[in-house]
Amino acid sequence: MHSLTLENIVKDYGSFRAIHGVSFAVEPGEFVVMVGPSGCGKSTLLRAIAGLEAIDGGRIVVNDRDISADEPSERGVAMVFQNYALYPHMTVAENMGFALKIAGRPKAEIAAAVERAAQILRITEHLAKKPKQLSGGQKQRVAIGRAITRSPEIFLFDEPLSNLDAALRSQMRIELGRLHAELKATMVYVTHDQTEAMTMASRIVVLNGGRIEQVGTPLELYNRPQNRFVAGFLGSPRMNFFAARIAGVDGDKARVTLDGLEGEETMALAADHGLKPGDEAILGVRPESFAEGAGGWTLAGRVAVVESLGRETLLYADAAPLKTFDSESHEGYVAVHRSSQLAAAPGDAFVFSIRPNSAFLFTREGRTVGFPASLAS
Amino acid sequence: MGRNFRFASVVLYGFVSLWSLIVLAPLAWMLFAAFKSRREIFTNPMGVPKTLSFANFSQAWDVGMGTFLLNSALVTVASVAIIVIVSGMAAYVLARSESLWLRLIYLLLVAGFAVPVQAVLVPLFQMLSAAGFLNSRLAILLPYAAYGIPFTTILFFAFFLDFPKELEEAARLDGCSRLATFFRIILPLSGPAVASAAIFQAVFIWNEFLLALLLLTQPGLKTLPVGILQLKGEYSSNWPAVMAGLTIAVIPILLIFIASQKYFVRSLAGLGK
Repeated sequence: MHSLTLENIVKDYGSFRAIHGVSFAVEPGEFVVMVGPSGCGKSTLLRAIAGLEAIDGGRIVVNDRDISADEPSERGVAMVFQNYALYPHMTVAENMGFALKIAGRPKAEIAAAVERAAQILRITEHLAKKPKQLSGGQKQRVAIGRAITRSPEIFLFDEPLSNLDAALRSQMRIELGRLHAELKATMVYVTHDQTEAMTMASRIVVLNGGRIEQVGTPLELYNRPQNRFVAGFLGSPRMNFFAARIAGVDGDKARVTLDGLEGEETMALAADHGLKPGDEAILGVRPESFAEGAGGWTLAGRVAVVESLGRETLLYADAAPLKTFDSESHEGYVAVHRSSQLAAAPGDAFVFSIRPNSAFLFTREGRTVGFPASLAS
Repeated sequence: MGRNFRFASVVLYGFVSLWSLIVLAPLAWMLFAAFKSRREIFTNPMGVPKTLSFANFSQAWDVGMGTFLLNSALVTVASVAIIVIVSGMAAYVLARSESLWLRLIYLLLVAGFAVPVQAVLVPLFQMLSAAGFLNSRLAILLPYAAYGIPFTTILFFAFFLDFPKELEEAARLDGCSRLATFFRIILPLSGPAVASAAIFQAVFIWNEFLLALLLLTQPGLKTLPVGILQLKGEYSSNWPAVMAGLTIAVIPILLIFIASQKYFVRSLAGLGK
């Protein structure tokens, strides 16, 4: 098993800096997912590891070997592309064995490597076919098989599931999880889909604007986001944010008010919160953290949209005069998640409440200064 | 609307039929004349030949049509091969580079396309003479290749711009050099572009007359268009034999054209993009 270390990677496109000195280490056998909105630099970073983009600063190290200046084929990495990138004029077997053929390996060795990869991926019966005779899922398997055949030190995946339909995507997620367990290989995976990140990763790297926002296990990031970006990025529907104000501070406790809502509640703060009375802040509430009925900050309003998913229900509600902080998410509605079937319809009145011990508190700059009591560590 | 549509198609079909007639009439005349006697060609210029005699064909063949055919085939195949390989590699580099110098070279290539052969005949003759290529196959091969390269490079350039970059990146990761990527991935997947470029150039080279007349004087090297000229004497011309020779010359290129007209039409239709 092999480790991968990125040290202070910088990438410029002309005068635009796409990657601002990113550093992190992937432990041997880890499945690391790089996630972030489009344009955050995650694909650029992956392509830099593969050697398809030259870096303008920093080092890429595999097992103590600096590969920053090596040719892509000499780096010991294999990459699975979003559009599969299978050679249309070759059969599946030729596609999978092409790298070994270029390396001048004997035919018997190539055939054995292709056969082994095909068995792992259960595509043995397709080996003689051309890519255009395969379905999307089968093509993606061949693309993964091509990577396996090379027995690389590091596997790289560039949004490999985004061209598949929803059912196939969740099936391939399981397949990739099985593959990782079976090959015990070091894998780096790029996606913009936070569900893929949460379900498959040993650790997640959240990127934004060419910088790392936070690195951690899926639950660490979900429960202890260091900032509002990470808190908002992970979780679907995303966290609700409300404009808040600090009425008073007493050690590691603060009295907080919400804009547009009556009542002042006391919240526990992290030790280095740095808040003063009168500061503006942002309150964050996950859709599943609302309590039913009155108590704490009580929200009363009307249901605008109901999404009944069978085992769960999502309500989008208008809680005026309380306003959400970022009007672009949920169309300005408050998103509420209930893990049961509800007989709600648009226009129904509702009463929910925010308990201060189940909410996050962020500074206006976005730093997390208060965590829900049940998740405090 | 149905009636208007039918009227429009009748007019269009009428126009296309008339156009086809204009194009085909000289060909039919050539074919008929090839079977007529030297007398009949003047007494019955427009009619169908009275007898079906192959005497003119054998007469034409005896001037050395076999050699001319072989020469034409050799020159055409070799020139087209040079054109496709050189243009393909040039267009690939030009399509993938962002260098300003290479942009300039591309512009020069496009400009080269605009220079008529007639304008450079004399310097071309002097250059080939100085290089000692006169009366060798190279004398005709190199100018043909040089004249085919700009157009074919432009054709390939447009094709390579649309070529999926992931395939090249996958090839790089698989250990291919630039050259190996070109020959193992790009070229095998450029079938339609190569075919259309090859046919276009082959037709032009097969029929080329002026350069061949100027640069090839040895009978053993002459290509078809120049070779057939031998049937025209100083004082009298054996027109039926000339027509028979031309008929023989047209057949190979016509067969190639019919077999691959799909690519030919597609390449011309795609030029506008």
